[in-house]
Amino acid sequence: MSARRVGREALKGFITGLMEDGRTVWGPQEFQGSVRFRPLKKNGTPVLDVPNATLSPKEVVFPPSEWMFLFSTDPGREDAFVLKEVPQEGPEQVILGIRPCDARAFQILDRVFLEQGAHEDPYYRSKRDRTLLIGLGCNTPCSTCFCHWTGGGPFHTEGLDVLMTDLGDVYLLEPVTERGRALLDALQLDEAGADEVERGKHIAEEARASMGEAKDPRRIKEKDLMALFGSPFWERAHEACVKCGVCTYLCPTCSCFDIQDEVRGACGFRGRNWDTCMFALTTLHASGHNPRPTGKERFRQRFMHKLKYFQDDFGDVMCVGCGRCVQYCPANIDIREIIEALSA
Amino acid sequence: MDTRVERIRSEAKRLLESGEVDLVIGFRKGSIPMVSRPWFVRTVEDTELLHWDGFCSLNLCNYLTKRKEKVAVVAKGCDTRSLVGHIQENQIQREQVLVLGVPCEGMLDRRALQERAEGTEILEVVESDGRVEIRGRGLERSFPRQEVLQHCCRICRHRNPVLHDRLLSAEVEEHQVERYEDVEEIDSQSPEERWAYFQNMLSPCIRCYACRNVCPHCYCTECFVDCSRPQWVGKSLDLNDVFTFHLFRAFHMAGRCTDCGSCERACPVGIPLRVLTRKLEKVVSERWGFEAGTDLEQLPPLATYRPDDPQDFIK
Amino acid sequence: MEQQNAQDWEPKILAFLCNWCSYAGADLAGVSRLQYPPNIRIIRIPCSGRMNPAFIAAALRNGVDGVLVSGCHPGDCHYLSGNYFARRKFTVFKELLEFMGVEEGRVHFSWVSAAEGEKFAQVVQEVTEAVKALGPARHYVKEKIEVC
Ligand code: SF4
Ligand code: SF4
Ligand code: SF4
Ligand code: SF4
Ligand code: SF4
Repeated sequence: MSARRVGREALKGFITGLMEDGRTVWGPQEFQGSVRFRPLKKNGTPVLDVPNATLSPKEVVFPPSEWMFLFSTDPGREDAFVLKEVPQEGPEQVILGIRPCDARAFQILDRVFLEQGAHEDPYYRSKRDRTLLIGLGCNTPCSTCFCHWTGGGPFHTEGLDVLMTDLGDVYLLEPVTERGRALLDALQLDEAGADEVERGKHIAEEARASMGEAKDPRRIKEKDLMALFGSPFWERAHEACVKCGVCTYLCPTCSCFDIQDEVRGACGFRGRNWDTCMFALTTLHASGHNPRPTGKERFRQRFMHKLKYFQDDFGDVMCVGCGRCVQYCPANIDIREIIEALSA
Repeated sequence: MDTRVERIRSEAKRLLESGEVDLVIGFRKGSIPMVSRPWFVRTVEDTELLHWDGFCSLNLCNYLTKRKEKVAVVAKGCDTRSLVGHIQENQIQREQVLVLGVPCEGMLDRRALQERAEGTEILEVVESDGRVEIRGRGLERSFPRQEVLQHCCRICRHRNPVLHDRLLSAEVEEHQVERYEDVEEIDSQSPEERWAYFQNMLSPCIRCYACRNVCPHCYCTECFVDCSRPQWVGKSLDLNDVFTFHLFRAFHMAGRCTDCGSCERACPVGIPLRVLTRKLEKVVSERWGFEAGTDLEQLPPLATYRPDDPQDFIK
Repeated sequence: MEQQNAQDWEPKILAFLCNWCSYAGADLAGVSRLQYPPNIRIIRIPCSGRMNPAFIAAALRNGVDGVLVSGCHPGDCHYLSGNYFARRKFTVFKELLEFMGVEEGRVHFSWVSAAEGEKFAQVVQEVTEAVKALGPARHYVKEKIEVC
């Protein structure tokens, strides 16, 4: 038996244990008007009893802004304007309470940052390698959750190192990877009883059953690319969208960034910040030409990338069904409707 | 059915049939509770989906900027005020727009409702007779409508359309509510405290610019945050840059913001941004007696001047 | 700012002066050999109406301790109404900046004509004193990071 148990009241002790060896433990916390993943303070507790956090823990491995290079602008220096890497070391870290959809999103980001093309992204790589994921299964999926459409589920373990199940009085912890197993072993937690493992299974089945019928976006892969691209569907579909970008900033799978230089005093920085295909500036050329001149093209890009191009390239949709874009869109653009329309 | 919904549909139908307009912009029911979807109607069939409820909060004036065709728009008080701004700033011509005014009872605050559900997901909201009922798995509660209005609606002084071609229901009573309690509270603090207050308030900002993009009045071809020569403001999450973004976003709204609340609603991390724009609203009103979007004849305050404007702060 | 430096600390003040009046006023103060504190650095702008509040923010963020913006008296604008529009902009901007926590007394405005050399000297005196009383700018300065 490899499953472990942590009593609800012992959660603090468990987290303290995780923090040993200098590990940073990220957990969902109230941050003014939202719930975000933040490093837990000693004796701090994560908020695990709410639905999924406002922002996914993508920001742990791919922060909204980060510096990549430094340079001196002092012309008297021999190394003036020579780029130097910002050191990428950091502590080992654990993300506690990541939901299964967001963990799958890490695998999608892996493809973009680590597998695609000839080069790995060193910034992502360094953070990703020292991060362990302890996921929390979803006992009560929201009505906006559709992880099961995209190949996941409320208790899916893909991408996780450990799966945690809330049994009420107790958290059940089941290792998924070797790293996860080693971590649990080192913490010397009590073994879970067979009945507890059984209860966990039951909760998972009930959660999945509560989610209703899944539509399969994989059908979109079979469709002709140019037909979808040129479809009159986009003319109307995009109209209500105000191109605010919230959907992409909150999306756990979106990976666009913009590189910017900044100078303070005689010190220059080159960094990257999250960006979004919803903005005209993203594709604006220096000449003034914009290959995505209107909202329609930008809107189409978002969905074609997620649902078609990414499938063609990697076999999966670039959406894990977390439902954030559906929940937070001020204009009620619902990706589920787009999936249905494109697969029809 | 709500008689307003019937009126909206029948007016839209008539306008499209008669060819008076090419397009009607209104709302339809959203795919999830607590948000209605802007709906663009060009055919008589599509008028059947037009809808009205307490979640039609998005400022529809957003969709009018630089439009070419003749368009009818379903508009509450704040939308019409923003429209006045748009007409004054030449973003659309008065003759092009047919305003289907809806006197507004205030829109409902989704976040406040969700809070009252205490962790249970709201699956349905029913509005009736000044009450709002929320329903979910094992959840059934109701509140007086007044208690769960958006903050901007609770302090709204122009619930009736200020400009309209048709009025779709009887006018509602206007209230001379106090609008600046929180602004005054901050004003009474020391600079240190105010600085700390805003640093803290802005610290969760992720620079997604949704607050800018959902505002009907943010339509510049190039936003100052996007300029790179000169780079007025750094693009990272450095709090000083975040502060600068908000300082200027608000500044650019002086005398223009109609307090529709779209920015605050769109902000995914829940920053109470309107305190900045309302501070300016207060300044503009105290100094020049101006109120944004209430008078087509009056020029926006920064587009005009009076030789005898107050200048006590100038040496 | 360390204690022993506090006494010798001299503020850096950036002055944006309109070409037609205040800049000439400053010039007159100079040729008349009037004494005023040497803390100001002058940038000439075509008109106070050209003044973009972003200049003020840029100055403060880059570490000046105070800002003065000066133009022609109402009615005297070379372009007729530039200073009237400027006055409205400044009103709003100053209020907002101070609301958000920048101290009153960091940012100043004045009208100084080409004939008012003395007024110019006096304004600079007043501004310098006000900024000195506040001490070095702390809040709205973008942190310098010398790491490279
Ligand atoms: S959140 Fe909605 S309105 Fe905003 S860009 Fe995304 S789809 Fe458009
Ligand atoms: S597209 Fe929407 S539902 Fe899919 S992963 Fe992104 S935010 Fe979640
Ligand atoms: S989408 Fe699935 S995995 Fe994600 S929060 Fe909802 S139920 Fe959980
Ligand atoms: S600033 Fe905000 S409240 Fe004001 S008009 Fe724009 S979106 Fe509405
Ligand atoms: S919407 Fe909110 S998070 Fe986004 S830029 Fe505006 S204040 Fe920041």
